[in-house]
Amino acid sequence: MSLTAYSGLRPANVISKYGRCLELVPVDKNFHDISVGLYLKGNICTVWTFSTLDGVESRVEKIRNQLVVLGGMSPVKGTINQAQFDCGEVHIRPLRFLMSQAVGKSADYAPATELMSIKDTKSDLTIHVTPSNRDGARVYSISVSGEAKNPSMRLRMIVAGFSKYGDMDKLGDNEVAFACRGSHDELMRLLMPYSRNISSVETMMAAEDMRGQMNTSTLGFSQT
Amino acid sequence: MVYKETMTSKQRVMNALSRKPVDRTPIANPTNVATVELMDMVDAPFPQACQDPELAARLAATGYTELGFDSITPYFSIIQESSALGCEMQWEEKDNWPTVRMYNQIWKSADDVKVPTDFLEHRDVKAITESIRILKQEYGDEVAIIGKTMGPWTLAYHVFGVEQFLLGTVDNPEETMKAMDKLKEISILFGEAQIEAGADALTFPDHATGDLVSGEYYKRFLQDLHSEMVDELPVPLILHICGRTIDRMPYIAQTGMASFHFDSKNDPQEAMDAVDDGIGLVGNINNPETLYARGPDEVRQEVYKCLEAGVQMIAPECAIPLATKIENLIEIPRAVKDWTAERKG
Repeated sequence: MSLTAYSGLRPANVISKYGRCLELVPVDKNFHDISVGLYLKGNICTVWTFSTLDGVESRVEKIRNQLVVLGGMSPVKGTINQAQFDCGEVHIRPLRFLMSQAVGKSADYAPATELMSIKDTKSDLTIHVTPSNRDGARVYSISVSGEAKNPSMRLRMIVAGFSKYGDMDKLGDNEVAFACRGSHDELMRLLMPYSRNISSVETMMAAEDMRGQMNTSTLGFSQT
Repeated sequence: MVYKETMTSKQRVMNALSRKPVDRTPIANPTNVATVELMDMVDAPFPQACQDPELAARLAATGYTELGFDSITPYFSIIQESSALGCEMQWEEKDNWPTVRMYNQIWKSADDVKVPTDFLEHRDVKAITESIRILKQEYGDEVAIIGKTMGPWTLAYHVFGVEQFLLGTVDNPEETMKAMDKLKEISILFGEAQIEAGADALTFPDHATGDLVSGEYYKRFLQDLHSEMVDELPVPLILHICGRTIDRMPYIAQTGMASFHFDSKNDPQEAMDAVDDGIGLVGNINNPETLYARGPDEVRQEVYKCLEAGVQMIAPECAIPLATKIENLIEIPRAVKDWTAERKG
């Protein structure tokens, strides 16, 4: 017996078919507040929602397409909801940020494709990422320009940010590369705003994690 | 011999609540197991699913039909009665819990406590009673329907404000007892209505939590009152208190309630020892770290730990985070069944 007319894939079948849920965006503000998950099986990522609202397939395809535009993934042929990295690896940590951006940005958003530079939020410096190919690897050099009290200290923190949020290896003082050593310029561009401010990102993530939790401190009694 | 289930979900839960033999340990949800994905699946989002009986029933049923739990609980939050009493509500959005706005208390003393004559007709009360009726009609005796009625201590937080109420327990304990006495009538009224609608058991949250009050406070203000509830509400009662509660478990074990829903801050074996067979236990899979942030392997480990300790029903420790991944919830019954098969198969 069932109280609903749902005829799509059941949760157990979704897990069996598409793997584990890597990132769940609880509310898609660009489409009727539906939840959207990024599921992972092998190295194939699948955008999935249990919503059956009209137009939801088109929305899922747009999100998948944003994974391609914002993250440099390749669509899986013959699908509207799957993508993968050409390197064959998964890059879990940046994928989570990517999914969040793919759902959160409007479907027609496209990042700038010129120089990889961004203003620092903690100083007057500008952060630059310069990719190059060396010994078969794509190496990303991080540098800063402008005036600041201690630019070398800031630079170290920013490099640490890329290591942390990109799951990247540090090759030199100011150089990082992805574990696959492949080119992921789009991911680097995506990670720049996160990597420049670890403490703010951690605070933001902790706040997101607290939302929807019921515990002793949020015992149903609003503090506002 | 291959392990085979021989009981319905309802038989399993009801037997566990009355400490009778079961074919395997039941998986229960005394609080709730709603998630944003399940809301989408049955088109029953928060906050509407807390206000509309059909949506509440639809969403609650997924705990049984999709996750494989042995019970269905359609009261998701802890604010339905307080909304009906006139507390100012913050209903929030789909991905967050509705709350009572604490800065605007509706009552100042026990003398103010009055149950509106149309309490049972309020939208947010009927959302629960009518959803139970729908679920009973749909699932009959197949699965245990667990209702929920807030205890007076929790209601006091809502209507007086947490800080004011707790300060009052120090300044004027007689007044606190008087307030408890009047507020418990709401717990009974709502509980009886849910039993009449078809609830097989009731969760009785009364948040004398480890973080806020001591075990001695529990004994002084609540132990007798909870015993009284056992006489007043003729179905098995599952007391729910969050936090570290080992210090009050021996008192809780003497109330006559059927089960205690305990928090992951208490080690399962330590909790079993503390209640000393005086009451059944249900719990205590960690929410914020394990179910929300980790994976099925870690969920399975915690389930096994509870089973090894002899916990009578397995459940998340409290209302689960709304963005919990379904794979972690489905892992709970899978782990229970595997553990049982390993020992009985």
